[in-house]
Amino acid sequence: MLQYIVKRILIFLPTLLVISFLAFGLSQCTPGDPVEETMAVGEKGFISREAYDRNYRQLAHQMGLDRPVFYLSLSALAYPDTLHRIVRKDQRENLLKLIAHYGNWEQISTYYNQIQELDRQLTKLPDSLKMLNRVRSELLLLNLNDKDRSIQTKLDSIDHFLQQDALLNARIGGEVDQLKRSYSQIKSQQTPWKLKVPVIHWYGLQNQYHFWISNFLKGDFGVSYRDKQPVANQLKTAIPLTLMINGLAIFFAYLIAVPIGVYSAKYKDRAFDRITLVLLFMLHSLPVFWIATMLIAFFSTPEYGFDWFPTYGLGNLPDSAPFWQRFWETAYHLVLPIFSLTYGAIAFLSRQMRGGLINILGLDYIRTARAKGVNEHQVIWKHGFRNALFPIITLFASVLPAAISGSVVIEVIFSIPGMGKTTVDAINAQDWPVIYTILMIASVMTVLGILIADLLYALADPRVKFNKQ
Amino acid sequence: MGTEVATKKVTNAYWETVWTSFRKNKPALWSWRILKLLIFLAIFSNFIANEKPIYCKIDGKAYFPVLMDYGLKSYPQFFDTDWLAPNPAFEDSIMPLIPYSYSTRDKTSRNYVGPFDEQQVRRTRYRHWLGTDQLGRDIAAGMISGLRTALIIGVLAMSIAGFIGIILGSLAGYYGDNYLRISRFRFVLLLLGLTLGLFFGFFSRSYILSESEYFLGQILIGLCITVAVVLLFNFLGGLFERLSFFNKKTSVPVDMLTMRLIEIINAIPGLLLLLSIVALIKNKSIFNVMAVIGLISWTTIARFVRAELLRIRNLEYIEAARALGYSEMRIIFRHALPNALTPVLITLAFGIANAILLEAFLSFLGFGVDPSQVTWGSMLSEARGNFKAWWIMIFPGLAIFVTVTIFNLIGEGLSDALNPRLRR
Repeated sequence: MLQYIVKRILIFLPTLLVISFLAFGLSQCTPGDPVEETMAVGEKGFISREAYDRNYRQLAHQMGLDRPVFYLSLSALAYPDTLHRIVRKDQRENLLKLIAHYGNWEQISTYYNQIQELDRQLTKLPDSLKMLNRVRSELLLLNLNDKDRSIQTKLDSIDHFLQQDALLNARIGGEVDQLKRSYSQIKSQQTPWKLKVPVIHWYGLQNQYHFWISNFLKGDFGVSYRDKQPVANQLKTAIPLTLMINGLAIFFAYLIAVPIGVYSAKYKDRAFDRITLVLLFMLHSLPVFWIATMLIAFFSTPEYGFDWFPTYGLGNLPDSAPFWQRFWETAYHLVLPIFSLTYGAIAFLSRQMRGGLINILGLDYIRTARAKGVNEHQVIWKHGFRNALFPIITLFASVLPAAISGSVVIEVIFSIPGMGKTTVDAINAQDWPVIYTILMIASVMTVLGILIADLLYALADPRVKFNKQ
Repeated sequence: MGTEVATKKVTNAYWETVWTSFRKNKPALWSWRILKLLIFLAIFSNFIANEKPIYCKIDGKAYFPVLMDYGLKSYPQFFDTDWLAPNPAFEDSIMPLIPYSYSTRDKTSRNYVGPFDEQQVRRTRYRHWLGTDQLGRDIAAGMISGLRTALIIGVLAMSIAGFIGIILGSLAGYYGDNYLRISRFRFVLLLLGLTLGLFFGFFSRSYILSESEYFLGQILIGLCITVAVVLLFNFLGGLFERLSFFNKKTSVPVDMLTMRLIEIINAIPGLLLLLSIVALIKNKSIFNVMAVIGLISWTTIARFVRAELLRIRNLEYIEAARALGYSEMRIIFRHALPNALTPVLITLAFGIANAILLEAFLSFLGFGVDPSQVTWGSMLSEARGNFKAWWIMIFPGLAIFVTVTIFNLIGEGLSDALNPRLRR
């Protein structure tokens, strides 16, 4: 038994690993610059560019973003393995594009370094030079352009500005000429063949994925873009709420579905069975978000005369209110959401229960029991039901992910601040760290649920082969 | 010649039996009939709900303004026409059944006019039978064009899912864990080929991929390059295998790998995965959305096909095919797979229902296809803005419900008809 448990857990580890790759990979595809998004608003405006650059570097280092992305990378020979040291995401991406055009990193890096050097020189010059700021803004734009024509235009306009400002020209004219020369070198010394030669780089443990997953395991999920607070703060209330709602919904679903299933198996093909079958089938096909919207409209607004339930949220009694009062308030708010979550699962579960029990009632030992005169009630509840119940318990594994998915829409419609609503709000605010943390946590919870169901099944049914090949 | 006729007769007889038992299931039969009607409505939706007349006559000349929607013919004289206003130039005209399209904004019926409210329309013919929304768009017209979106999404998403599911499922089921034996040398070559293929297909083309407008097309090209490189290496492997030195065999656990993959995908709550992928897509065309839906919903199909092929693999006729020296691919895809496709039909029917639901859900949350495309989900989400307008709530929801139920019932009917053993 212990061996079986260990084995099951070992099988789930690679699953979790792949899911973490997926979540991390998706988070790499997000638009926007994570460092900039994380910076507090005060750090962005009204500070000098040097201070901004310093802050940027510091924050990127804190977030582990100055590291390579993964343990290893597959790229072309033209790309250097040290590109991650260029911290600014926009500049890095621009360099990638330049390399994709010309394939000669040496020339491109000279060019890039000259731009940075020139920029540094410009900051030291006095502001009194009249063309200084215009030259500078053109220079900064060079960092973000990769197309030949636009780079050429920028270089030409820098030339143009320098001609109008002899003082400035005297200071940096030589460097600008050098810059132009190195740009034309990029174009003249292209090595496009380097783009076609694959290379695998190995980076070791100092990489972003490793940083992210080890922080994740420690419970540090990063910082939300929206409120600049740790993501964990948002999830601390959301996860228990979602778990509670789903737990209650699944509990009620089993509570109602199991007797329905048993009775329709008992009265198979009679009126009760036929009617429940049709009803449950229709329930199963009713879209949750439709029913929930209608429930809100008809039963929680005075519009149609049935203003019985509260519309949104969980009630806002202060924490100081007596426990039972808060309990009833919350329960009152949860009636509609839990109903909407439950009915779909009821249909599914009771159909399975019915099918399983019918199968078992056709077996020989049931006939034997009937033949020796055991009354029908005992046949069904004592002999049949027990054996039919186990497979239903394991269905928990497939009900749970469905319930978590389903609760997304319920939480949004009823404004319950659980995981689903947090996700949708985060998507609307493009708050990526929150989205992928929730994706990871929900997957981990589902995997754990499946694991528990597996173990329960193995406990309940000794015939499960522990060392299945 | 003779055998051909015989097989044809046999297949016909098989499908005749299936059809007869399918017909006996009244709900399924009626769903099938309604589905045919819905497909008809979806195909001809422009002729059913449109503000342009199907046919009109001006100065004795016949025009078909509806065709302008298809770009078949352009009539310059209609460019500035306000279709809602009565046009005195028409000597004769035939209007579609619903004289509005969903993009028409009826200025006189703005701000949620209900079906039973007094409507300021020219004639009873122009009534909004199912009401209007805030912008004065006709709900009935929206239902008709939403039907088209829903069916396209359902069918295309499931074809993608079916394609992936059938290929992976059949390979997993046929080869199992022990039957795909290739030499270690070829295995290494294939891995190398896959790496190189991915490199040339995607990594070295990353610039084109990120800049191109046709992202999906570029991905397809990348996949083609990858497959081509892998096939090339497979061919090389075949050449080298003739030398006995490279010929030590090892088995590849295809089944285990596929099942693990399915387990992984099933372990992620589907809607959350869908949401977090869709959130990344900038251009939410109908094709991108259904591609994502297809990519995460192939697992059921793969499981069914695998189970069938596990059974079929051990049948005698497959052994006979092997004895005849047919290639493995030919046995799988020409002899084994056709007999495993019946359960796929069942899962396809349920899958279409599910895909329609998923899309409606996405649109309901506002993450679905872009707003120019009408979907039932986005119509339904409008109802949350105004609970008074019950017609926006009831009708699109009902449409989703009916369509989903129809596909579910057809799936039920098929599974009864195709597996007589299961019928109780």
